[in-house]
Amino acid sequence: MGQVLVLGLIAGGIYALFAIGIVLVHRGTGVLNFAQGEIGTAALLVAYVVVHDLGAPWLVGALVAVVAAVLLGAGFEFAVVRRMISSDPVSTAVATVGLTLTLVSIEIIYVGDSGKVLDNPFDSGFTVAGVVVFPHQVLAVLVALALGFGLQRLLRRTDFGLGILAAAQDPDAVRLVGVPLSRVSLAVWGLGGALSGTAALLAEPTVGLITPGFASEFFVFGLAAAVIGGLGSLPGAVAGALALGVLEAAEQAYLPLDVPGERYLLLLAVVLVALLGRALGPELRSRFLGPARPAAAEVTA
Amino acid sequence: MTTTTLPLRVPRRVSLPVPGIVVWLALVAVLPPVLSRAGLLSDVNALRLCAATAFAVAGLSLNLLMGYAGQISLGQYAFVGVGAFTTGLVTGVNDLRLPWLVGLLAAAAMGGLVAFVVGLPALRLRGLYLAVVTIGVAYAGYQSLFRVESIGGGSAGKPVPRPYVGDSAIATNADFLALALVVLVVVWQLDVNLCRSRFGRAFQAVKADEGVASSFGIDVARTKLLAFTLSGAMAGAAGAILGTAYGTVTGTVFRYEQSLLLVVVVVIGGLGSRAGVVGAAFFAILLPSVMIALFGEGIRGYDLVLNGALLMYTISRNPHGLAGAVREARDKRLERKGGLPPLPPTRPSLPALRPLSGAPPVRKPRAGVPVLEARDVSVRFGGLQAVDQASLRVDRGTIVGLMGPNGAGKTTLFNAVTGALAPDSGQVLFLGEDISALPPHVRAARGMGRTFQLIGLAKQQSVYENLLTAQHLGAAYGVGSALLGVGPSRWFERELRERADQVLEGLGFQRFRDTPVGRLSHGQQRIVEIGCCLVTSPELVMLDEPSAGMSPAAAEDLAQTLLDVRDRLGRTVLLIEHNVPLVLNTADELYVMDTGRVIADGEPVEVVTRPEVVRAYLGEVVA
Amino acid sequence: MTPMLELQQVTAGFGPVTVLHGIDLVVPEGSIAGVFGLNGAGKSVTMKTIAGLVPARTGRILFEGEDITRLTPEKRVALGMGHVPQGRQVFPQLTVEENLRLGAYTLRRRARSRYAAALDSVYDRFPVLRERRSQLAGTMSGGQQASLSVARALVNEPRLVLVDEPSAGLSPKMQHDLRQVLQVVKDSGVTMVLVEQNVAFGLSLVDTANLLQTGVVVHTAPVEELDDETLATHLGIGRVLAGATGSALHARKGV
Repeated sequence: MGQVLVLGLIAGGIYALFAIGIVLVHRGTGVLNFAQGEIGTAALLVAYVVVHDLGAPWLVGALVAVVAAVLLGAGFEFAVVRRMISSDPVSTAVATVGLTLTLVSIEIIYVGDSGKVLDNPFDSGFTVAGVVVFPHQVLAVLVALALGFGLQRLLRRTDFGLGILAAAQDPDAVRLVGVPLSRVSLAVWGLGGALSGTAALLAEPTVGLITPGFASEFFVFGLAAAVIGGLGSLPGAVAGALALGVLEAAEQAYLPLDVPGERYLLLLAVVLVALLGRALGPELRSRFLGPARPAAAEVTA
Repeated sequence: MTTTTLPLRVPRRVSLPVPGIVVWLALVAVLPPVLSRAGLLSDVNALRLCAATAFAVAGLSLNLLMGYAGQISLGQYAFVGVGAFTTGLVTGVNDLRLPWLVGLLAAAAMGGLVAFVVGLPALRLRGLYLAVVTIGVAYAGYQSLFRVESIGGGSAGKPVPRPYVGDSAIATNADFLALALVVLVVVWQLDVNLCRSRFGRAFQAVKADEGVASSFGIDVARTKLLAFTLSGAMAGAAGAILGTAYGTVTGTVFRYEQSLLLVVVVVIGGLGSRAGVVGAAFFAILLPSVMIALFGEGIRGYDLVLNGALLMYTISRNPHGLAGAVREARDKRLERKGGLPPLPPTRPSLPALRPLSGAPPVRKPRAGVPVLEARDVSVRFGGLQAVDQASLRVDRGTIVGLMGPNGAGKTTLFNAVTGALAPDSGQVLFLGEDISALPPHVRAARGMGRTFQLIGLAKQQSVYENLLTAQHLGAAYGVGSALLGVGPSRWFERELRERADQVLEGLGFQRFRDTPVGRLSHGQQRIVEIGCCLVTSPELVMLDEPSAGMSPAAAEDLAQTLLDVRDRLGRTVLLIEHNVPLVLNTADELYVMDTGRVIADGEPVEVVTRPEVVRAYLGEVVA
Repeated sequence: MTPMLELQQVTAGFGPVTVLHGIDLVVPEGSIAGVFGLNGAGKSVTMKTIAGLVPARTGRILFEGEDITRLTPEKRVALGMGHVPQGRQVFPQLTVEENLRLGAYTLRRRARSRYAAALDSVYDRFPVLRERRSQLAGTMSGGQQASLSVARALVNEPRLVLVDEPSAGLSPKMQHDLRQVLQVVKDSGVTMVLVEQNVAFGLSLVDTANLLQTGVVVHTAPVEELDDETLATHLGIGRVLAGATGSALHARKGV
């Protein structure tokens, strides 16, 4: 039982980091970024090049990787998202799909079939509830919790950070108080990229091998957690992601289907059930509690 | 929420005579074997073309979903996989050993079924939920299900044998290519039939604006699910082709990136353009071999990079993809030659339309029963009481006006009456029956037609198509008939078109028949909107600020239209208006609202001079 | 003297629709200019064009003589333009003080030391905000939010304030309070452009009235020179409702 919890939190920590990035970008700029995962893989490969081909220590590689991820995110915002400001969200989401494909195909060319191994300093772990836990795994969970519950507070401290929070609530009004919305957008996407890079860096040592599409395999869990949570709150996304990790571990321990990749089947099932709940929720509620209240969004005349 | 660029003319759908498809079928069935035997088509190239054909069918499936219904799927290739493995299971030598055709149909059925199950929860919600679910499907397929021994045949893969004609197999790639192309042509034709039917129009209405679609009587959730299921079935068929072409399929074929590549194909080819999508599919599959032939082995894999970059570029420039850009260029040329034709000066009067035979029976109101009654309706938004115990009564064969300053609650009351929102208290009675619990499309079906404050039309569709879509509920034929293009669908479509033609003539808008509605002036859009409302012969016509944005001349036309609706068609009208002369000249009774309450009601001329009404409009003079 | 704001033959719209067909507007420094018109006349588009949210297609916009036609909204705010948007648009999940801090974004960047004093002066003018400085803006009443919206514009020490339909959705009592607030703003010497559908409310505050009809300013006159006939015809509200504006004007003249 303790083992399930520990294993679940280890996985959930990575999912949570991705989930935070998704929610941040969605709330800040209204775009659902399907490339959130692959930005991480790309950053990871940058780290690989720095460590292996240039002989630098892991930490340097990691820092360069995060910077690369920031540039990738901000660059995409500048080159693509900004141009699509009048488009519908589906089109912009499709643009992120284009980014995903581009990144994955570059990875396929560079990595090929064998995969790459990134030397990292995380060899020694300690035992908790019968599971060997490594520092990077603990770090992932801690960072996710800190950001999930503390990012808002951090943002409130600066004017610009406050502008980011406000932009999520009312982008037009933000411009009317003089906050440069374009810069806010850029910062949000850069931050999203950084989160992606960090998540990938902290996930890699556990797996030990970098393959094309590596980070997306974790990203989809984070995406699911974020979407089920309604993309509304950071703490909710983190809690959901951690819960998803624990659920995954529980399934492995108690109900194994002995099917390859069964965690993905679980994921699909969870998403479908959660969405079904959300869809039926209002109907069930109205049956028991009376008609729903109208949304306050559109009140014209 | 769609984009702002619109074509100048929506091409009129010329009905192909039936022989057209026969010609195509003959052509594709004969050409590849002939070319192959003449030495012009190598075995390897034929195989590549088979894969391209399968990809094209998959592209059409995604085009149906994205281009027509406006939903996004990031796991379409997984459905192709489902089709491929199903075919193997059905036709395989070690499995069921059924004929290939059965395998093809089973593949399509399975693809549709999986899509249905997966789409059911996601499509009731708005937004990108389907995208997330389909990513889940992509991963569940590729990483899990397709690797299961019994489904995917393990590491050796699942063998999919070639079809047999009598005793001989269609063994060569060129011969199979002919069969594959035949399937492509058939799927294309089915797709065309579907999109010309009321379902196709429903898809496009839902894509344009779900609220508008709902007011046309379209069940939005069911329509989206239908589109998804059919696209899943088509993708399944593509899988049958792919699996049979390769002879053996393993799970690794159906990677996540291939689903993304399909999205590229559909977007670049142009959302909604079949020829574009098929062309782009062929391009995407043949590109790698072409690039390697030109630049050598080192270039392997760069085709995908190119495609990804191309997608980002294309969609940021023009959300309608390449076909959209081409269309825009063509339109600019057209525009330079002259723009839209002007409105004719005189307008013939409106025809009295008899109800469609398939339409649900319009309940005849009993004498003395008002057509509409709102009793003590209240709506609260958070801290604001938008409508406060408002009561309203509309008698048969009258025009009732509803006025009041901004924020008075008029549109909110309208929304409560049409079912767009549920009031906190109060009742709505239509033709004497309590409809308070009914959803908007059911109310529309019972005879309540309305127009929106912000034009409620499918802007990308032509005037004619909007008039057809508006009759969605009356044309009660099923999907099967629509797909095959025979039977009830033909009959109903003819009727729908007749009525649309009548209304078009009645409004004097023949010259705008094929113009996308979004290109008309505001005033013209209003008139089309009223036409859409009228084409279903509703019992009650509800208009929300119809004269907004109209010139005085157009407003006069509008007033005459309203009087025609009442006197010649015998209908009842409820309208929200700001234009005082318009109301005074048409309304039999006038209600005035202010801050959520009905503050006056009675003869228009008398109501309008009451001090509390005047005060409501010009505000309190606070000392 | 250079007018604070000037619009010269400005046209603007959305997509294929043109809403403003050549607006001419002059706002002298220290005055309050009213822009009145019925629904669809183009009032909110005019405000959005001055703010920069909607680009002007032709014509020029001059702010203290400087051509700002191509400037982004943020830059216009930095130059000294303040906004009290329609519907108030306070940031609901931020506190009162955070809303004000954001309002002073450009002030804090160009002269941070003045912020404390500016904040204080705004709290002096709106004591109810000082009481509730840590309250989430979304939980306040409509009238309080209106005060916050005005305060948020003022704390940035603007030279011109655009006020967009401030009385919308407010009860008569709240409108009365709001009028006091706007009067205080007026007395402090800030130039204002006030857009209103509630003509009587607007007339009680402005110096000059600009009457808007289908995207063109059809009549401009100081309030003293207006009569009910002119108002009625130029607003297009029809002779039947004309009588009411007369009483509004008489009340104003009587004050």
